[in-house]
Amino acid sequence: MTDARIAATAGSLERTGRRWWSGSAAASDRLFSALGLLSFVALWWLGSVTSDFVPPIGEVLDAVPSFLTEEDIYGDITDSLTRVVGSLAIAVLLGFWAAYLMARRGFWGLVVARYVDLAIGLPSTIAALLALFIFKRSEVGVFVVVTIACFPFVAITLRQGFLSLDRRLTEMGGVYRLGAVAQIRNVSIPHLVPYTLASVRNEYAHAWRVVVIAELFAVNSGIGWRFTQAYDRFLLVDVSLWLLVFISILLGTEYLILRPLERWVLRWREGKL
Amino acid sequence: MSSLSVSAAGFHLEVGWRRRALAFVTAIALGVAGWQVATWISDGWIPGVGEILDATGEALVAADTWDQILITSKRILIAFVGSTLIGVAIGMAAGLNRKAEAFFRPLIVIALATPDPLYVIIAILVLGTEESSGIIALTLALVPFVVTIVHSSVKARESQLDEMSAVYRLGRRRYLSRVLARQVTPALFAAARTSFAFAWKIVVLVEAISQPRGIGSEIYEQFRLLNAAEMIALALIFIVLMRLVDAVVFGGLERRLMAWTR
Amino acid sequence: MSIPFIDVEGLKVSYDGSRLVLDGVDMAVEENEFVAVLGPSGCGKSTLLQVLSGLLRPVAGRATIAGHDMTGSAAERPRVGYVFQDHRLLPWRTVAANIELVLEASGLPRSEWDARIDRYLDILQIGQFRDAWPMRLSGGQRQRVSIARALAIDPAVVLMDEPFSTLDEVTARTMRQQLVDLWQESSRAIVFVTHSIREAIFLADRIVILTRGPARLLEDVTVPIGRPRRYEDAEITELESEIVDRVMGVWGYEEQQPA
Repeated sequence: MTDARIAATAGSLERTGRRWWSGSAAASDRLFSALGLLSFVALWWLGSVTSDFVPPIGEVLDAVPSFLTEEDIYGDITDSLTRVVGSLAIAVLLGFWAAYLMARRGFWGLVVARYVDLAIGLPSTIAALLALFIFKRSEVGVFVVVTIACFPFVAITLRQGFLSLDRRLTEMGGVYRLGAVAQIRNVSIPHLVPYTLASVRNEYAHAWRVVVIAELFAVNSGIGWRFTQAYDRFLLVDVSLWLLVFISILLGTEYLILRPLERWVLRWREGKL
Repeated sequence: MSSLSVSAAGFHLEVGWRRRALAFVTAIALGVAGWQVATWISDGWIPGVGEILDATGEALVAADTWDQILITSKRILIAFVGSTLIGVAIGMAAGLNRKAEAFFRPLIVIALATPDPLYVIIAILVLGTEESSGIIALTLALVPFVVTIVHSSVKARESQLDEMSAVYRLGRRRYLSRVLARQVTPALFAAARTSFAFAWKIVVLVEAISQPRGIGSEIYEQFRLLNAAEMIALALIFIVLMRLVDAVVFGGLERRLMAWTR
Repeated sequence: MSIPFIDVEGLKVSYDGSRLVLDGVDMAVEENEFVAVLGPSGCGKSTLLQVLSGLLRPVAGRATIAGHDMTGSAAERPRVGYVFQDHRLLPWRTVAANIELVLEASGLPRSEWDARIDRYLDILQIGQFRDAWPMRLSGGQRQRVSIARALAIDPAVVLMDEPFSTLDEVTARTMRQQLVDLWQESSRAIVFVTHSIREAIFLADRIVILTRGPARLLEDVTVPIGRPRRYEDAEITELESEIVDRVMGVWGYEEQQPA
């Protein structure tokens, strides 16, 4: 299952995310990171100099305050955000159910695995065009596209979680007579939490990328739609502004909300004091 | 021993091939049935399975289809090779050198947070609407993924072996080829495979947006003409073909790789 | 003649239905006896404990505790405390919460829980870790929590499966002494599995020695040494050599055959 390998690398993406950001950043680290950021700015500047069409970074930054005070933009931001969160929620539920079936290795698990495989192998663009065709320009279409894109990765990660349920802890539960409900509540579910959190964090970023593609084609609102609007009308400063908005929201929510949440939930983890 | 039995050792999956084939057939049957229901509900707006199969047959024999596929494949190949080379270089550097890691960190984070269409837009703005801008956009979009995989694998290497290499003064070249290579090869392979997998998916987007010829732009064309069956047919052919390539090329290489590392 | 508190008779156990792990084991333990079960690696000593705790059903034979059949329905079985070789604490629950979890399942009244938790944590000298996360503790501390958990439910018997084998020697020595003190104070039945002859002699009243798998009873040795014992005692060394001589031939030098 080639795409299962991709999902496994989603795991390594997550670990790398931690590696990029965790740990104490020594002073030289900060210096070089700043240099990295600077090189990004330099590239932008280079682009604006060599091409008539790339707006200089100064112009874009100047336009930020007035851009942020336009109320208009918040509607689209909310639209996209709602779609991301909503689809992700559905994807997690679907993925959970699929993972459970697949981990049991029953017949239906094998059938579900084929659908998971199919969903991973479906380019989002094709899904978006199909959704546009089938659902016309409706919310449902976007939700379907994003959900289909994300749920297989959730399923694969959670399947790992189910399969790695430690027999030893359930044995302990058996000796002390914990009973099925207590076992599920105290042993199985907490074991699955880290896997769920990891897949949510990965697929959150993935969902944002897919939502933009879906909005590009399938609907008339949201950040993706704004991109096309600005690009079609040659409003290149706007394209840059929306890009900044997009990156800020994605990184902001990820680093200010998701990761701290994950750290708090997993605070019982290794680390002898 | 019935092919339906699961080995007593527990964890090895050999659920018999018959069972898996049956599951595959069931999945297809359910899918087809579901699709027909959708066709029926939509009053024919959604093309029926028969229509799709017909369109697929036609597309398969049309020379134009294969021209388009060839064009797209060239792009995929260039982007795949380019992104893998660049990505491995950056990933290795970042994995081995802390300063490089700190330097590339913000770039990779931003790159991962940039949506794919933006790569195309930016490439067009800077380079114009030539053939190359699409390929460059595709390559750049793939690089961060390769970097991530390679970087994390290099970082996860056994640092004790680094120390050993230093003590025995193995030197850069020997270290890279003898000590590091073995540890990192599986990840390099995974990175390449991932790069290919993303390449053929993202190329569809690139071609649909920037529309020089290619399967992606053909699919978009058919969509605009509301020829759903033709659109789905092309998509099916392309997807199946790509997955076949992946299974044969990368699957085969993987088996060789496993044998070599034993 | 009265039935022993723990009575194992002709126990035959198999995991996969074909190969016997235990092949007719007999054992009797009185109500406040400390019995060690000694055997080479892989002989099925842990399996014996698993049957006694109700985790595993035998193919033949019987295992009863206080007259109740441990292989029958869970409802009537007496409470059993189990200390595993790996601590098996839930890492996402604090120390106290881990003990509460089993107290809840044991049916003891909630009003008693805090007192019990505090009491046993204090006895094992880890009272200050009451609200700590298990993964922040050392191996020895985690095993102590595991022991406290086993004792807190007021069990009929405490089953211990090589609980100190993963600890460093100094910690293990301390724990052995603490265990003996605890046992003498509470006088509960303890069945302690180990592969260390010296440990068995130091701790137990009697040692049940098993053959290699499929295991049967090889010998039942009473330890005549008075308490308190010191780990380095000459008497212990003497008894140890005797036992070693007796079992060498039976257990053999070679490694256990692969399954």
